[in-house]
Amino acid sequence: MIKVVNLSKTYRPESNPVYALRGISAHILPGEYIAVMGPSGSGKSTLMNLLGCLDTPTGGSYYLDGQEVSQLEADQLALVRNQKIGFVFQNFNLLPRMTAQRNVELPMIYAGLPTQKRQERAAEALEKVGMANRSDHHPNELSGGQNQRVAIARALVNAPAILLADEPTGNLDSKTSSEIMTLFDDLHREGVTIILVTHERDIALHSERILHFRDGRLEKEENLLSTPSRRDDEQ
Amino acid sequence: MNLLESIRVAIESIRSNLLRSILTTIGIVIGIAAVIAIVAIGQGGEATLMGEMEKIGSNLFMVHIDWKREEPQTGTEFLLEDVQAIKSQVPEIKYLAPYAYNYDSIRGTKKNKQAQIIGTMPDHAQMGNLEMLQGRFFTNEDIQGRRRIVALDEALAEELFGNTDVIGKQVVVQGNSLLVCGVIKEEESFLNMEDSKSIYVPIRVWMDIYPDGFIQSLQGSTLEHEQVETAMNKSVTIMERRHQAKNVYAGTTMAQQMEIASKVTSVLTLIVSAIAGISLLVGGIGVMNIMLVSVTERTREIGLRMALGARRRDILIQFLIEAMVLCIIGGIIGTILGVGGAWFIAKLAKWPPLISWSTILMAFAFSAGIGILFGLLPASKASKLDPIEALRHD
Repeated sequence: MIKVVNLSKTYRPESNPVYALRGISAHILPGEYIAVMGPSGSGKSTLMNLLGCLDTPTGGSYYLDGQEVSQLEADQLALVRNQKIGFVFQNFNLLPRMTAQRNVELPMIYAGLPTQKRQERAAEALEKVGMANRSDHHPNELSGGQNQRVAIARALVNAPAILLADEPTGNLDSKTSSEIMTLFDDLHREGVTIILVTHERDIALHSERILHFRDGRLEKEENLLSTPSRRDDEQ
Repeated sequence: MNLLESIRVAIESIRSNLLRSILTTIGIVIGIAAVIAIVAIGQGGEATLMGEMEKIGSNLFMVHIDWKREEPQTGTEFLLEDVQAIKSQVPEIKYLAPYAYNYDSIRGTKKNKQAQIIGTMPDHAQMGNLEMLQGRFFTNEDIQGRRRIVALDEALAEELFGNTDVIGKQVVVQGNSLLVCGVIKEEESFLNMEDSKSIYVPIRVWMDIYPDGFIQSLQGSTLEHEQVETAMNKSVTIMERRHQAKNVYAGTTMAQQMEIASKVTSVLTLIVSAIAGISLLVGGIGVMNIMLVSVTERTREIGLRMALGARRRDILIQFLIEAMVLCIIGGIIGTILGVGGAWFIAKLAKWPPLISWSTILMAFAFSAGIGILFGLLPASKASKLDPIEALRHD
């Protein structure tokens, strides 16, 4: 599903090079639940930008859903983002003037779906995250957790190949965080591929595999499936 | 992203910054209102002028001394015999009359008044469609008999005698007493801005009163509008032959004069609306300014839209449409104000404004064009944002 081979990213390669990623190779299978951890400056944000097709690497290749996407043009990248990637942000990034329903419709607008189909699918997605009864609310009328649910519905609505979540619980209290993580767990059980960036270990423990980054390198992989009783240990 | 969706987003964004949007559009509103009002008044004035001239007659022509000639008139350029000669040789001519005038003092029973003392023939009344309020105009027999009678304007009669019931009364010009034979009805016309004050004297009597005076021109009309040019040219040729003079006579038709008048008014309208158009330009710059602010404020929104799959051109179009919607709203308000203003001014000036669909459409297209022109810079700035940077913007 996702394969990165020797992926690297260097900023300002001519004058004062910053090696943000120094050759990453990884393989992520469909339906996998991955957590990315690492201190700031470790390259995890750069990796997320590359995996999210918001940026192009300076070296290596990136296969997403069988397609090599590392050298695509801006417009083609926009199409890939629209069709194959669902973003969940720390600060939700909902448009304040739009209702939850309209926010969820947004990716489908750029996909060129007709109005009726958009509305149906947005309603379904809101239903899935338990926000069906709040569809006509604006973001400022919803709590943080509710906003993140709407944002997750928006990320899922085009049935993406991967869900990229960048510190999705960073702005939430612990109770709401655990509710959101339960939602991610549910989505994982339904077969959604999830890549989660976090600096909190107990959030990362929801995943099946943790990728630890340091200084632009994949430092180590921690396979959590080999220790089935992991959650009991932590809690 | 389709057009309807873009318009919807644009309206949502304009609504969320309502006061700012209204202030921004004021420049466009004033510009469009000014252009619409000026064009409407200009075109209305031109149409009224043309209508009046048409009423006077597009089949009128005049033979006069060539304006390029520098020698003073001797008095023998136009003779009474020329009138008959031309009339008999040019079948297209329906009416032809000599025209001699002097601005002079005239005395009635009530007071003295300055007026145009016009010496002419009955044909003049015919081609000018003069309508009589009282009595009659003088006839050819009156001219032959050198009868000392006059026809005068309603307004002049009022001033000289205090009423218009003046048939048989006396007026005195240069010590000659003349009997009033008719009062001419005032015509409601916008060309008669001031009251026309004229008295009409049989040409032979006029020549008796002013022995040093002379006929200034011949005025004629044809049956058909199409014949006027031919009739005028033939008349000039006959005059040149009869007087053996080249480059002395010239002809002008009413149609030519209408054309000149129309040209003058349209050029004036154009100049004034161009000046008004400058305020549109200023308005456009205001729109550009506020759109740039809007792009900066909405950097994160732009980044998010890009992350969700918006291409650069989707962002470009979205902001272009927003600038256009802003300008078109201004254009609509401006059109309403402009039409209202045109009516108001026209009411004062006493001529109907002419508001054509083409003017309104033009204003509409123009404001949309300004939206595109001045929206282009902010929209292209928005579309060139880097999604990662934009998403990180606070």
